[in-house]
Amino acid sequence: MEVLAGLSTPIVMGILLGGLYTLIALGLSLVFGVMKVINVAHGDLVVFGSYLAFAAMTMLGIDPVLSLVMGIPLLFAIGFGVQRFLLNRAFAVSLDAALLVCFGISIIFQNFCQIIWTPFSRGLRPPYALESFSVGVVHIPLVYLLDFVAALVVMLFLREFLRRTYLGKAINAASQDRGAAHLMGINTGRVYAFAFAIAMTFAAIAGVFLGLTYPFTPTSGVAFLIIAFGVVIVGGLGSILGTFIGGMVFGLAQTLGGYFLGAVAQMLVAYILVFVILAVRPQGIFGR
Amino acid sequence: MPQKTLLKVSNIDVFHGSFQALWDVSLIVKSGEIVALIGANASGKSTLLNAISGLVHPAKGSIEFEGKNISALDPFQIVTIGISQIPEGRRIFPNMTVLDNLIIGSYNRKARSKREQNLKMVYELFPILKERKNQLAKTLSGGEQQMLALGRGLMSDPKLLLLDEMSLGLAPIVLNDLYKALREIREKGITILFVEQNVRRSLEEADRAYIMEVGRVVLSGDVAELREEEEVKKAYFGV
Amino acid sequence: MKITIPRLRGGLTPLIAVIVVLALFPIIGVPQAWLLYLFLFFIYLALANMWNLLAGYSGLICLCPAAFVGLAGYTVAISTWVGLPFYLGIIAGAIAAAAFALLISFPVFRLRGIYFAIGTLVLPEVLKAWFLLWRPVGGVMVGRGAGYAVKGVAGVSLVEWYWVALVIGIASIFLMRIILSSKLGLGLAAIRDNDNTAASSGIDVFRLKLYSFVIGAFIMGIAGAVFYTYSGYIEPLSAFSIRWLLVALLATVIGGEGIEGGPIIGTAIVVILHFLLARYAGISLLIQGALLVIIMLLAPQGIVGYIQKTRAYRPLLKLVTGR
Repeated sequence: MEVLAGLSTPIVMGILLGGLYTLIALGLSLVFGVMKVINVAHGDLVVFGSYLAFAAMTMLGIDPVLSLVMGIPLLFAIGFGVQRFLLNRAFAVSLDAALLVCFGISIIFQNFCQIIWTPFSRGLRPPYALESFSVGVVHIPLVYLLDFVAALVVMLFLREFLRRTYLGKAINAASQDRGAAHLMGINTGRVYAFAFAIAMTFAAIAGVFLGLTYPFTPTSGVAFLIIAFGVVIVGGLGSILGTFIGGMVFGLAQTLGGYFLGAVAQMLVAYILVFVILAVRPQGIFGR
Repeated sequence: MPQKTLLKVSNIDVFHGSFQALWDVSLIVKSGEIVALIGANASGKSTLLNAISGLVHPAKGSIEFEGKNISALDPFQIVTIGISQIPEGRRIFPNMTVLDNLIIGSYNRKARSKREQNLKMVYELFPILKERKNQLAKTLSGGEQQMLALGRGLMSDPKLLLLDEMSLGLAPIVLNDLYKALREIREKGITILFVEQNVRRSLEEADRAYIMEVGRVVLSGDVAELREEEEVKKAYFGV
Repeated sequence: MKITIPRLRGGLTPLIAVIVVLALFPIIGVPQAWLLYLFLFFIYLALANMWNLLAGYSGLICLCPAAFVGLAGYTVAISTWVGLPFYLGIIAGAIAAAAFALLISFPVFRLRGIYFAIGTLVLPEVLKAWFLLWRPVGGVMVGRGAGYAVKGVAGVSLVEWYWVALVIGIASIFLMRIILSSKLGLGLAAIRDNDNTAASSGIDVFRLKLYSFVIGAFIMGIAGAVFYTYSGYIEPLSAFSIRWLLVALLATVIGGEGIEGGPIIGTAIVVILHFLLARYAGISLLIQGALLVIIMLLAPQGIVGYIQKTRAYRPLLKLVTGR
């Protein structure tokens, strides 16, 4: 019973942390599902979102979550532009070219953040970031709960968007059969741009909650890309629910890894998990 | 009453890389007609349809629709002006429901406002689609999928319907239903150009036909005349 | 596996002349700063050639050069702490990198395309995290990082390191030539076009990719070991930094992926860029990232590839690459 009581906190925290990882992975999953490419810049774009919120907080005094009012349109526009002008063209060359262009974008954003905000570790710490609450023996920082709630909200939004709107259905159609989508009168180039832009708004949101949960530096992106990739693989392509479960798998891996092996080993556990998953079952558990 | 020319393809050449798929091909479809495009495999029939749909562009010659040159338009624009293709192999979206497949058919601006109206028409033509509207498209039988593909094409509110090898893999009974539906579609004022390998059936259903071989149009005319043509009888009916 | 020494046509004499001139640079009084950049050039050239071998010829878009470089560097550093002279340490480093590649190939080669890329991306991160925690020798360090000084290199001058790097860089060029003219090269050409077709023609795809991977790791290991031995100090953030990948990738892509002479031109441009932007350390990388994007979109076949398409430059090309 002692052991169980001790474990209950990391387990609950792991599940809630899964919300953060779901948030981070949703954008990656959307782009992967539609355009069949892993945007290796995704982690860096999420961290860029963290920095934007940081700038809003330090320069304008705006709460990070509220700063999304500015962050979301900005990242939406950046995403739209990147896909429309860079990636669409890269796809025309080859899939590998698109991968390398994403890598170039990753380097650009990493160093842009480094130039403006220095390599110093930063964090988003509004007053509520330090709050925590207790449920029975379980003691949880408030931000973890916020991560989880945010993930639920975004997932719900995505599901309804894909189900109910023309654009959502078009994105779905284009990801299943691009040529047939053409014949429906769908401008696939523009649809891809919208899909990427939406993925970027998810990155903006994920960035805010990442910054509230963890400290970040300009090079933090890679670590979260790898975890997001792992989440997407576990969840399988095209499944929002799968991504959510994948998020929790990684959240739990981290908190339990930290509980048993110490804080420093947390990232290592996550990386090894990704590697194991890749080696054992790259097509995921839920995917089509 | 003279019918007006809806689609006019004039002397087009189409290349796939360095391979020439169409040689100096011309074709006319008049409003209200059912026209058949007949030929064996690799005769260029699908390429011709794809050229009309804007998926490939002619290197030479022109394609006109309602008098306007459409040869340089993007595929999604061509759908908007009223040409809808039901591609070979159906290519319905397998992981979307029947209803969603139909709805996505009305994606283009013009068709959206007429969605409910067109949906009703499609359900009348193919009641089975209404029955199965919440099922995933991949669970439908071959014939039902073809109906879905047709219905989806109709949802874009077309003036001209292009059908590529509708009969592939379908039983004669199912085909009868489909051709009956085509006739009803024509009654509603939609013009049809369909591609077939089955010569006999095509000549039964169409008003006029074009026969293609290796990228060229070798024969054309009213089906009554074509049926009498010595060459047709010899080549396709073995007489 | 038979290796045939190829007949080097035409370009051999100018190439030898160039090598001799380069070797004489320190003696004829070329400034130290230049020697340093040339040192870097040859180190980067070895990396770029190997990345080209993997990505351009074997169809392996490997994002883990940092793993090989850093592992080799750490091996050298740690071995000097246990009493090994540094030159043996360098060999040990290269072997460590190659062994790592061998070990990792079993899980990683089962992955295709993007899965392979991400799989290899994870490797340097894992090693980085590992070496931030693990200090096999030298006691506990206060604060972050597991840095090691490389012992016993005080006596070696920049000039000598320059010559070592020169040998490595030139050797990598010759190695490429040998590999590409051999049976291995033929097999790789088939694999690059289409994995499955190659397999059905009886080519042992796994084995050939493995050879490339291990050879590439070994050479990258040597380059990395030499670099860190010269630098005298190694720590995880630099050893496993994404910069190693960026250098190799950019040099290959600018020059022309899958083209033999590509990395030479590409590395030259990268080093010139480093030189020009030396004062603007932060922006340097950003510009390189932008350059990568631009090249991929405008000239994906690289400069040499582009030149190859414009036939007028054929004679010049012959001179440079000896083909």
